[in-house]
Amino acid sequence: MANVLDIQGLSKRYKSVQALDQLSISVPEGSIYGLLGPNGSGKTTTLGIVLDVINPTAGTFQWFGQPLSKETKRRIGALLETPNFYPYLTGLQNLKIVADIKRVDHSQVQTVLETVGLANRQHNDFKGYSLGMKQRLAIGAALLGNPEVLVLDEPTNGLDPEGIAEVRELILNVAKQGKTILLASHLLDEVEKVCTHMAVLRAGHLKAEGPVGTIMSAHDLVIINGGAPLEKLEEIARSLPIVTDAKIIHHQVQLILQTGVDSAEVNKAFFAQGIALSQLTVRKKTLESQFMEIIKADKKI
Amino acid sequence: MTPSLLRVELRKLLPYKTAWVILAIFAALLFLILHISSNVTINGQTAGPSFYEFPGLWPKVTYVASYFNLLLGILIVIAVTDEFTFRTLRQQIIDGYTRADVVQAKYSVVLLLGFACALYVFVLGLFFGITRATEVPFSKMYVDAEAVLYYLVQAIGYMSLAMLFGFLIKKSGLAILAFLIYAKILEPIIHYQLPDHIDKYFPMKVLSSLTPMPGKEMFEMVTGASEALTPMHALLPAVLYIGLFSFLSYFLLRFRDL
Repeated sequence: MANVLDIQGLSKRYKSVQALDQLSISVPEGSIYGLLGPNGSGKTTTLGIVLDVINPTAGTFQWFGQPLSKETKRRIGALLETPNFYPYLTGLQNLKIVADIKRVDHSQVQTVLETVGLANRQHNDFKGYSLGMKQRLAIGAALLGNPEVLVLDEPTNGLDPEGIAEVRELILNVAKQGKTILLASHLLDEVEKVCTHMAVLRAGHLKAEGPVGTIMSAHDLVIINGGAPLEKLEEIARSLPIVTDAKIIHHQVQLILQTGVDSAEVNKAFFAQGIALSQLTVRKKTLESQFMEIIKADKKI
Repeated sequence: MTPSLLRVELRKLLPYKTAWVILAIFAALLFLILHISSNVTINGQTAGPSFYEFPGLWPKVTYVASYFNLLLGILIVIAVTDEFTFRTLRQQIIDGYTRADVVQAKYSVVLLLGFACALYVFVLGLFFGITRATEVPFSKMYVDAEAVLYYLVQAIGYMSLAMLFGFLIKKSGLAILAFLIYAKILEPIIHYQLPDHIDKYFPMKVLSSLTPMPGKEMFEMVTGASEALTPMHALLPAVLYIGLFSFLSYFLLRFRDL
């Protein structure tokens, strides 16, 4: 499948701060791509550059295999950081301005207002909207023109739990229509629940990239027990080439396997040593522990 | 420049109370000053109805109107800095505008306001000339009415400079302050330091040369001539400055993160 967005070697330097360092990622068509990282890791800088509002220090990017132009911008709907509207205008008036800029027929404005549940408040001034309504109006504006790609920067920031659930549902519904979504978030839980692909950023560096499933299973924990004393199990495990780490925790032996190794291999290896394991469980790490590990690993360096 | 850029700007400005308040102040003050001008007493002589006589009325009306260009400039500064405050400028670039579109859109507002105000000045001139003068020589009514055209260029010039300050400083209060300080304090100080034949080409001096003080010749017989361009000679430098201010606005946007 073709890539919607390709980024090569993107860097951005603000005076003394290297906000982004040699970032290269690709967003596949039809994916929900999560850009994950703590605050200040370079997510918004990345999106700002590919959306034409920040000038990169180095690097290039292509949308749909082409450089950014008026035409490619019309295929993208985006919301960067905060909802940006005229406070003294109503929701409807604000969306009409966006529609004019995107050269979209005004008939779409009503449809979009209904999609984001603001049809009954369209004649109220934007400044009177709650945070959740402002955010939904911004998503509505991004949906105008039926773009192929949605770029959403922290779309659930500052929302209450109900608002968060609504926005997530909206994103998943949009994704079902075959649109590609590029989503920046510092919430691991959000990326885990919504995304198919992800990239982890820290201090402007890319730490990991790929399908969410691959990144998660790359360092799955395998827990074994029985058939021999724990110390013996640990010793054998450490000697196996497929195991990168083994330790005794809570009367069990916890193993970390090399990337791409199936847990069945562990069972086979122990059986070859004459030990029949009574327990072998694979524990998927949560993205949270995954994330902390990626970040800690970096801090050690 | 496409009509659609202006249409979007009008969607922002027409419902904007601040814009209407400033325009109402402009219209009301100009009317008021022209209304009471005939009572001005110089050397114990009140001008009376003769103040409103054509064709001498046209330079007087445009000279008075030139004082209120600052209001138009403030309106433009607000229109530009609002886009930074509300971060709508950024969103419009994301949604499909180029940086040149942004400057052209604001410049289309400058042109529209310039033409609207020049038209208002023209209508006021006709109104006072016809209703207040003791005799209305219809043959002379449009003699020297080109003063209104000079005023139009002047208003556009002031607003272009205001637009540049808006794009440069981004915050409305500071930008208005900087615009006023430059126009009313900084450039006059520079004029004071430089010989006339150089400072007459400075932007504020060029723009004010477009609407010279009526009866200046008489005034200068007493104080000695100060060198300034005639309106006709000020026209070309004024147009060049307008082009320069618009280009600098674009240049600022082009190389800045938004």
